[in-house]
Amino acid sequence: MNVETKLMQNKPAGSRMSNETFITLFMIGMLALVFGMATLAVPNFYLPQNMINLLTNNWFIIIVGIGVTFLLVTGNFDMSVGGVIALTGVLSVYFSQGANVSQNALANGLGLPYVVAIVLALLCAMGIGGINAFFVAFLKVPSIIVTLGTMMLARGIAQVVTQGAQRNTSLPDVFGLIGNMAVPATSIKISVLIMLVLVFVAFIFEKKMVPGRRTYLIGANSEAARLSGIKVTRHLTSLFILSALLAGITGILLASEFKAGVSNRATGYEFDALVVALLGGVSISGGRGSVLGMFVGAIILSVVTSASTGMLLSPDWQFILKGSVTFIAILAQRFALEHRKG
Amino acid sequence: MQPTENVLEIRELVKDFPGVRAVNDVSFNIKRSTVHCLVGENGAGKSTLIKMLTGAYARTSGRILLNGEEYSPRSTRDARQRGISTLFQELNVVDQLTVEENLTLGLEDTTFGFLRKTDKINKMVSVMNSIEPSIKPRQQVSTLSVAQKQIVEIAKAVATESNIIIMDEPTAAISEGEIARLFTIIRKLRENNVTVIYISHRLDEIFELGDYVTVMRDGKHIDTKPVSQVRDRSELIKMMIGKTVFEQYTPRVEESKEPTLQVQHLSNHKLKDLSFDVHDGEIVGFYGLVGAGKTELARAIYGVDTYEGDIVFNGRKLQPSPDKAIAAGIALVPEERRSQGLFTILTIRANVPVMNMQKISRGGFIDGAQEREVAEKYVGKLRIASSSIEKEAAQLSGGNQQKVVLSKCLFADADLLMLDEPTRGVDVGAKSEIYAIIRQLAAEGKSILIFSSELPEIVNLCDTICLLYDGSMKAMLRNGPEIDSEKILHIVTGGE
Repeated sequence: MNVETKLMQNKPAGSRMSNETFITLFMIGMLALVFGMATLAVPNFYLPQNMINLLTNNWFIIIVGIGVTFLLVTGNFDMSVGGVIALTGVLSVYFSQGANVSQNALANGLGLPYVVAIVLALLCAMGIGGINAFFVAFLKVPSIIVTLGTMMLARGIAQVVTQGAQRNTSLPDVFGLIGNMAVPATSIKISVLIMLVLVFVAFIFEKKMVPGRRTYLIGANSEAARLSGIKVTRHLTSLFILSALLAGITGILLASEFKAGVSNRATGYEFDALVVALLGGVSISGGRGSVLGMFVGAIILSVVTSASTGMLLSPDWQFILKGSVTFIAILAQRFALEHRKG
Repeated sequence: MQPTENVLEIRELVKDFPGVRAVNDVSFNIKRSTVHCLVGENGAGKSTLIKMLTGAYARTSGRILLNGEEYSPRSTRDARQRGISTLFQELNVVDQLTVEENLTLGLEDTTFGFLRKTDKINKMVSVMNSIEPSIKPRQQVSTLSVAQKQIVEIAKAVATESNIIIMDEPTAAISEGEIARLFTIIRKLRENNVTVIYISHRLDEIFELGDYVTVMRDGKHIDTKPVSQVRDRSELIKMMIGKTVFEQYTPRVEESKEPTLQVQHLSNHKLKDLSFDVHDGEIVGFYGLVGAGKTELARAIYGVDTYEGDIVFNGRKLQPSPDKAIAAGIALVPEERRSQGLFTILTIRANVPVMNMQKISRGGFIDGAQEREVAEKYVGKLRIASSSIEKEAAQLSGGNQQKVVLSKCLFADADLLMLDEPTRGVDVGAKSEIYAIIRQLAAEGKSILIFSSELPEIVNLCDTICLLYDGSMKAMLRNGPEIDSEKILHIVTGGE
């Protein structure tokens, strides 16, 4: 009796999980389902090495997904991340290529030390983020328009620098280091470790810190946020610059991995980042979503991609399978949320 | 068919909402080709009555006869087909389209779904021309003034052969010159056998324009008579307020000390040279009709809208920005709670501490336990009816939502609390609880500004009453037993 009363008293205080937890759990369930189906369809899908691959395959989408998720939560898109990845990668190569070493224009760079090259390339990425912020946060131009513009701007610069192709010669040895190094005593790449650290930090930021909370308040009601004393413009500016910085880091890691700055690298990644965020339950109208959900979404996408490769589907059919699963998963999630009891 | 003398006959009309009878056994007639005014305080039932005439609400019981025939519209479209058009306060024009497109909106002739140019457009345009030649058919509506947009709507009503046009406070948002122009048009309409049902809070307009006047109060019909038989404004006001007994509130005696808030020569697009002082522990009420400038004043002090003049708070000039105002110790409970005050998709727990996050965080990290404690405290203190602090604010009733907004502002620890329409859409029980909280805060020495269009609220709560009309301060009265509500209504409706 005593225990029962106590239970009943405790019940209202936190028994009902938040919508966000609900969606994240729902998508984990969805992940289990997709994984189960893949195990049936593809031999040896459940082997440990393959499972690790599923977690690590998509590290680049997950890193840019963090910034994209934060901005989506505020009700804004960032479609420029793919372009920024290409731009930063190309610039990091151009800055560190030896100066005047060849007749070939694409082999000549600025000859800067690698660290300086990285810093400069990241500053350029943040510059693109600054342009996004200026038009969206200050001039109130819809983010989809602005970031589609800067997407093309960034890729355009990358194409000019590489003459529409790539730069991959006369690079110092240190250039290829970080992207190909593994964490000592494991086969896990440094890039994956960076991704995991960033996801953890982003999770703490969004859940435990005051600026993280502001992101949700702005997305839930930006006018009320402003009237509650939140500096909305400043916060959006920081997030756009952060998103561009994360894309920049990804660009540098990818360029290092391939020891090349390729102008059409990361084409379509902005859509992948958007898809994994939506799969993870981020609301397209803002105010809802989490980095953890996005992470789950990325793994779902990874399972589908990996399974379709395993089933030996041609790339065209892979595309169709990916599209259908994503579409069904997002619809199921919205349906479940709307028909949630309570 | 012989036209009846009365274009509309309203018989024992009743409209019930859950818990309240908004229109209670109302019967009166409206004569053909007259300007028939409808007056009453906020909540008297005018809007509900109008919405039944236009088909927006279905009646609970009673009858309406239009030209002697039974009339029960199912929609505004239905009403328009029967010849009743309405000019709402929120105008029904589409800014992005041209005047011509607006005129024919919803009445387009189509062939297989394609628009067809027909005589209809020409007719509309010629009606438009006869009323107001300065408006060009190809002009985009966004370039027109509010008054010109009204004229576009009137033209549309006339061209669709409406013989009754209902106008809901058409002069609330337009200038003096435009008002005169509108009145000329209304008189012209009357000559052309159109009946105008005219709703306004500005009593002078009724004497200037009206043939008949109907007074409503608390959902009931008080009287209908020719305007020529109404002696003066005060007779109308008496009918409007009846024997309202205010819960008398005796203000505390203020000794003269340095004011907390000094507003000096404040002007902007809406406000005209406002100056006043507010002291510690004082409750100052701003009363005025829709469009008098109450919300604009609150927004200017809070730094949302720009202004000229000085606002000095605790000896320092205020910088015009909400975050600076909050830092200086000012909080605002905004007029529109859902769009300006509340984060409806977030939980009560997340809503309450928003204006003072420093208090529940250390070095940028939110203390979850403290956050929950704060939310629980306010849910208890303000008696917010919710099973859990984890409930989304959207799921609460209006009164409880308002209490969440109030909690937010209380947690900001402000010295000056501004409340814009603090009890709009709030039920009676929650209302008196909110009043008790406001009095308690004043007793603790906080200064309070209340902006309200409900006179009983102002008279019940405030030490000082400021009357606003059309952006300027018409009077500043000390509340007390001698306060005269008739005089107040006289002033805020534009009287001297």
